[in-house]
Amino acid sequence: MAAAASQDWPARYFHIDQILDKPGPRTDPAFAAGDGVKDFLRTKAKILVIGAGGLGCEILANLALTGFKDIHVIDMDTIDISNLNRQFLFRQKDVGKPKATVAAEFIMKRVPGVVVTPYFGKIQDKDEDYYMQFNLVICGLDSVEARRWINATLVNMVDPENPESLKPLIDGGTEGFRGQARVILPTFTSCYECSLDMLNKQTQFPICTIANTPRLPEHCIEWASVLEWPRVFGDKKLDNDDPNDIDWLYKTALKRAREFRIEGVTWSLTQGVVKNIIPAIASTNAIIAAACCNEAFKIATSSAAFLNNYFMLIGTDGVYSYTFEHEKRQECPVCGGEALDLTISPDTTLEQLIETLTERQDIQIKKPSLSTPIQQLYLQAPPQLEAATRANLEKKVSELVSAGGEVTVTATTLPFSLSLRISYTT
Amino acid sequence: MAATNDSQTIEEATTGMESAPDQKTRRYDRQLRLWAKSGQAALESSHILVLSSSSTSTSVLKNLVLPGIGQFTILDRTITSPSDAGNNFFLEGQDSVGKPRAEEAVRLLLELNDGVKGHSIVNKDVKEVLGTEDGVEWLKGTFSLVIAHNLEKGALDQLSDVLWKDAKSPPLVVIRSAGFLAEVFIQFHEHAVIDSHLDTTPSLRIDKPFPALLKHSLEIDFENMDVTDHGHVPYVYILVRVLEEWKQAHGGNPPKTSDEKKEFKAIISKMRKKADEENFEEAEAQAFKCWSSTVVPYDIKSLFGAENVAPHTKPFHLLLKALEVYTTTVEPYTLPLSATLPDMKASTGQYVEIQRLYKDRAVEERDTFKAILDKIIAEQGEDASLIDDEVIDDFVKNSHILRLLKGKKWGALDQDKEKLAEAAASEESSKQLGIHLALSALSSLQANAKKQKLTAEAKAILPEGVELPDEHFDNAIGEAARSPTADLPNTAAFLGGVVAQETIKMITKQYVPINGYCTIDLVETWSGVL
Repeated sequence: MAAAASQDWPARYFHIDQILDKPGPRTDPAFAAGDGVKDFLRTKAKILVIGAGGLGCEILANLALTGFKDIHVIDMDTIDISNLNRQFLFRQKDVGKPKATVAAEFIMKRVPGVVVTPYFGKIQDKDEDYYMQFNLVICGLDSVEARRWINATLVNMVDPENPESLKPLIDGGTEGFRGQARVILPTFTSCYECSLDMLNKQTQFPICTIANTPRLPEHCIEWASVLEWPRVFGDKKLDNDDPNDIDWLYKTALKRAREFRIEGVTWSLTQGVVKNIIPAIASTNAIIAAACCNEAFKIATSSAAFLNNYFMLIGTDGVYSYTFEHEKRQECPVCGGEALDLTISPDTTLEQLIETLTERQDIQIKKPSLSTPIQQLYLQAPPQLEAATRANLEKKVSELVSAGGEVTVTATTLPFSLSLRISYTT
Repeated sequence: MAATNDSQTIEEATTGMESAPDQKTRRYDRQLRLWAKSGQAALESSHILVLSSSSTSTSVLKNLVLPGIGQFTILDRTITSPSDAGNNFFLEGQDSVGKPRAEEAVRLLLELNDGVKGHSIVNKDVKEVLGTEDGVEWLKGTFSLVIAHNLEKGALDQLSDVLWKDAKSPPLVVIRSAGFLAEVFIQFHEHAVIDSHLDTTPSLRIDKPFPALLKHSLEIDFENMDVTDHGHVPYVYILVRVLEEWKQAHGGNPPKTSDEKKEFKAIISKMRKKADEENFEEAEAQAFKCWSSTVVPYDIKSLFGAENVAPHTKPFHLLLKALEVYTTTVEPYTLPLSATLPDMKASTGQYVEIQRLYKDRAVEERDTFKAILDKIIAEQGEDASLIDDEVIDDFVKNSHILRLLKGKKWGALDQDKEKLAEAAASEESSKQLGIHLALSALSSLQANAKKQKLTAEAKAILPEGVELPDEHFDNAIGEAARSPTADLPNTAAFLGGVVAQETIKMITKQYVPINGYCTIDLVETWSGVL
């Protein structure tokens, strides 16, 4: 890294150095102003950016200007034309190319001395050893599942005997004019899983409305994609990135809407419903990414107190923000460890219990496997064990687990386990 | 493609059908969902003047060029220094050093969107422009909005004076920042918002049903209708019916006491033919709509009688006047009916029908409103075509969430001893005031920011005997003293987002802009408006 450092011309960091040359009123007493911290930032710090999209592009640019020289970026997507209104490292000619690669190249070309190492693939492709090499991880993801995965991975990595194993996770998210940024110190502060119940519940239309009594244009679109497509195309999978498929859905939904005298089916609405499109603009992404990178800077340098621990922003009516400390949940399946008390009817079947686990806002496990200390209740995989335990689904939980007994819940997609303590209503 | 035994011909099915979106629509898809074609058109006709090419300024511009403003001009004579090249993404490292910073920035910003035009003026500064009549006219007449980041105090005071004097001038966005601290202020006389996108839902007028709604509700044969239909009657009809019958039995009054309200809900419950009829469940849940009186909301009523202080908001004031007349002379003395219905448990046929009832009535009321408006326009001596039908429809549709912001002159607060004293004493605003004072003091002293000098300067702005809570004051002064001339990349990026967002709101006239000083502290990652 010494070679990279020598690309720093005099006064390059005139602005940042006003912070790094002296403490401020809210600087930790342990902060060591001067060459030491600058050297760490510019020659030793290693930072991982997850996502090279709306937030990712912003984060990469900010980190590079802040002085981080060794940046890695992971993204599994390729560039789409609808990205260009905000993902400013990409141009029309880049459509179709991997985001991580194009973003890395742009940053390295624009900001001398910065090395950005891209990985075009999934975060799940990498193991703990990979994540161990970084000082900090910043996420600009658009998926709850991916966030849960990286959160659980980093929490599981923490070894109390080894302080280096604690990787601060900074997570940002945006939607239209709204956004949030948070700082997670795995095992110490509230983690991503702790706040799962804060997520907005997705609108789900009842199937009988879709099939029999549509009223809204959305119902007609859902009908086209959920019911009519399989009827007409059988097993052929709907590709919602294919304009031809969207076109078919649009026309089909429109025809149904006309039959029922429902107005409002448009191309835009069709795409929006089918792809679950979230509005996105450069300005909100800029604010949240800046907040995240600002935290990264403060954490990496100790130059000022950092966010403790959640920042929410709503920009539709003035600029409204709310900064608060989200509390750790003791029964959090990722960072808590205490059992979650669950009371059910003695008639509840194992299958019904599994449904509850899928639907509860604070749990949301998609394909849970359940076991007690003495028995596998139901395993999702491998197929032989699934077949072997399938019969238990119909059984009442009360036949399998005594009152006060513990059930361990795991999921193939998430590296954690949830402890349930079951009690029964009388 | 679909089956051939359709009841419609292909022609019938395809009239009015949209074709696949063009490249531009695809590119802007994610933002069109926020401000629609009308907002986009407003952006594309705008020309923004930015008085610096600092890191913060180029960050703002990035977030305006990407969504497609029409044009921008950067007025800045700065020659790129080595420190500029280190904190600004729209410069090319040492290659840009020695070149006019604005030129470099414009060149690199234009790469973001080839639909946008950009210009740089590198041989003048704003004081020169303000020094001539032509310059002032150019400034006032060419631009939709002006943005000034860390403009030197003398120039800023002069600029804000000139723009404030003429109500036809564009709004001025003032940004001040130092290290982790920042503030944003928009100077404007008046800003009217029809499409505020605020969350409040319009009244369904269940307590004051229009004749067609009442008639339909009274004619429903709940007793003898088909059992399936019974479970699909929209809850609105149920409530209107039960309320009318209740009023007949109670001297024309709706349920008042909590016992009466319980009784009312029990009546609804007893009407169920099956235990799981969702529409009756909805009716019970929404029963409060029967005893909440639909009135003109306070937020809207308080706009009546407002003085029109700028020519560009005249149409809005005329619309407001018409609304005032409408709500005070047309029964039932409420806002015009909204045709927007929430979804509810109902058969398609019944839902479409109730939508039709509401739509027809909404059109009637809109026409009444329009007649009142036409009269007012004529009385004012204005042309009948002054306000587009589309705008009138929009106004009526959004009449429950209109906003009219009255702005202040930049710097007015610092002269207002009373307001300063108030803000200093209030827990709600002392943090903001601390940041504002620190940045004001810094601006007065320019870069010569020794902590004692800053403290003295900031205290001098406050009236005699008024003090700020120590913590807020000391933190703000301390930050300003630590980094008086630091345009930190992350602060610049943060401000870039905030200011672009506010600019977009001002130009599109959608959503509600800030009114006051938006102060920001990036140590605590906190913001508050003063």
